[in-house]
Amino acid sequence: MDYGFSKEQEMLKKAARQFAETKVAPRVLEIDDKGDFPFDLVRQMGQMGLIGLVNSKQYGGSGMGHLSRMVVIEEMARVYPSLGFFFQAGNLLMYALENFGTEEQKKRYIPDLCKGAKVSSFAVTEQSGGSDPSAMMTTASRNGAGYVVNGRKSYITNADVADVLGFVAKSEGGFSALFVEKGTPGYEVTRREPRPGFRSIPVNELSFTDCHVSQANLIGQEGRGMAAALPTISAIGRTGAAGVALGATQGAYEGALKFCKERVLYGKPISDLQALQFMLVDMNTDIEAARWISYRPAVLMDQGKSVKDLGVDIARAKYLAVDVALRNCLKAQQAMGAYGQSPEYRVEMYLRDMLELLTAGGTQEIMKVVIGRAITN
Amino acid sequence: MDTVVCIKQVPHPDHFSQITLDPVTKAIRREGVPLVMNPVDRHAIEAALQLRDKFPGKVTVLTMGPPQSREALEEALAMGADEGVLLCDRAFAGADAYATALTIAAAIRKFCPFSLILCGCETADSGTRMVGPMLAEFLDVPYATNVRAMKVMDKGICLVEADMEGGCMKVELGLPALITVNRAVNEPRIPDVMGIIGVADKLLSTYGANDLGLPAEKLGLTGSPTRVAGVWEFKKDRRSEVLKGNPKNASSDAVARLREWGGL
Repeated sequence: MDYGFSKEQEMLKKAARQFAETKVAPRVLEIDDKGDFPFDLVRQMGQMGLIGLVNSKQYGGSGMGHLSRMVVIEEMARVYPSLGFFFQAGNLLMYALENFGTEEQKKRYIPDLCKGAKVSSFAVTEQSGGSDPSAMMTTASRNGAGYVVNGRKSYITNADVADVLGFVAKSEGGFSALFVEKGTPGYEVTRREPRPGFRSIPVNELSFTDCHVSQANLIGQEGRGMAAALPTISAIGRTGAAGVALGATQGAYEGALKFCKERVLYGKPISDLQALQFMLVDMNTDIEAARWISYRPAVLMDQGKSVKDLGVDIARAKYLAVDVALRNCLKAQQAMGAYGQSPEYRVEMYLRDMLELLTAGGTQEIMKVVIGRAITN
Repeated sequence: MDTVVCIKQVPHPDHFSQITLDPVTKAIRREGVPLVMNPVDRHAIEAALQLRDKFPGKVTVLTMGPPQSREALEEALAMGADEGVLLCDRAFAGADAYATALTIAAAIRKFCPFSLILCGCETADSGTRMVGPMLAEFLDVPYATNVRAMKVMDKGICLVEADMEGGCMKVELGLPALITVNRAVNEPRIPDVMGIIGVADKLLSTYGANDLGLPAEKLGLTGSPTRVAGVWEFKKDRRSEVLKGNPKNASSDAVARLREWGGL
């Protein structure tokens, strides 16, 4: 099926698949079992230019755009959803700095993040939840030529491995977006959340205790932090979640299809049984539908449409792709019977991982609120 | 040092079950089967790129095939090759190994100065392993096949280790020469994003029969001295037999039975 990929995007998809199948696939069980962050794979992806696709060439990216990023996330998640999920959070600060940061910030941080030499994270959610960011308690109080930050953040992806962490805090005039480097006094990653899925990607709690942050670390304008954070979450976090969902569903579907063609029951492959065929058809159709809906906002962003105007399209993509993923990863497991629950067949991993996407980038219910407001307005 | 790498686009090995054959010409019907660069050709490209790091020069990738073969060349350019040459003409269609080698030799002689020619040792589709050696003969250069390791010395000498049945042969070749490599020679790189973006700026030339100066009767099916007389599928039957008795006797029986069935 033709999604209007350029020749470069076709080649990128092929290269990403080649990387995923040759460098990642043989190690998935080992990495997922140990739960260690795959630094070496992230570096290799960076060296290949896969991390900086939405960043411009002048800052070390390639400017290939959002659809290209979606395709790469999909290809990684098809083989190992955790690696796709790395992009969901790992690109947030890169996007925020490029679109709202100063020239100095862009030059200093984006190139190393594109190369995978450094890793970043972005923190908004607190213990009060992520659905109402205005209720956050973390504060950034003016102090001379900078801020003193106090508070805690929860469920922050990549925080433990991040060299630099972007965050939003209450400040004068509203909320401000700032960032801190690893090792800054007063900033500490306090806990790794035990999670059922995305085992090699840490999700952490972190705290700020009288943490001094320089004025030079302010992203955008003071008091206008949400104007930087919300489009970033939408353009990168939600589209990223949709991409991971698409890739994982594709991986689960391919696994189930292969299994059904090989598994013999009553003297013939179970793929000949209509009951199984119908399951496979549902999966195949769902994936195609979710893919079209998810690619649309990515294509429109590449065409220059503002993220703000695409909020509903992006929410729809995240909502549908994750819904499709959960439904179909479960279906894949069902189609494979007891084998579907064996780690060696990986379908159970896809299902565990997809549970994490229910909340990543905003809950499914928040996506519905965004869409609901728009259609009832 | 200028290197020419000869590559081929072949049906994707994962889709071989979808391949059908033309009942008249016995040629492979490619319609509907995804095509990829012949897997071992990637190793030949990688070898050329590694050599270029030590001995600066140009790496040209060349293929003969239908227009879609351009995709394989573009992939090679994304890996890092400098230029591509596509030999594409209906007159080339149906060429056997001899006519293919003759055509490629004419193109290399005319358009691609070289110190070294690299090929994959075999193609995943027809697998004759003949085009490389024939090409060397037509170009009158020494060659080594099935090479697992190679090293170019400063004095225009190339040392290679070539795999043979049950052993390995060390060969010294004076350049210019031709080498066909196997998969053990290196690990081919995956194209990176900047390589992919850079393809659009690289030269990819297309030449037809008129550009090569070869008479029409030497090209394609007409110029092919071999014809495929017949093609058939292997029937794979499974036979099973339980051998009873103590393990020593059973294993001797098993060996005898396998010999009898032609399995050893």
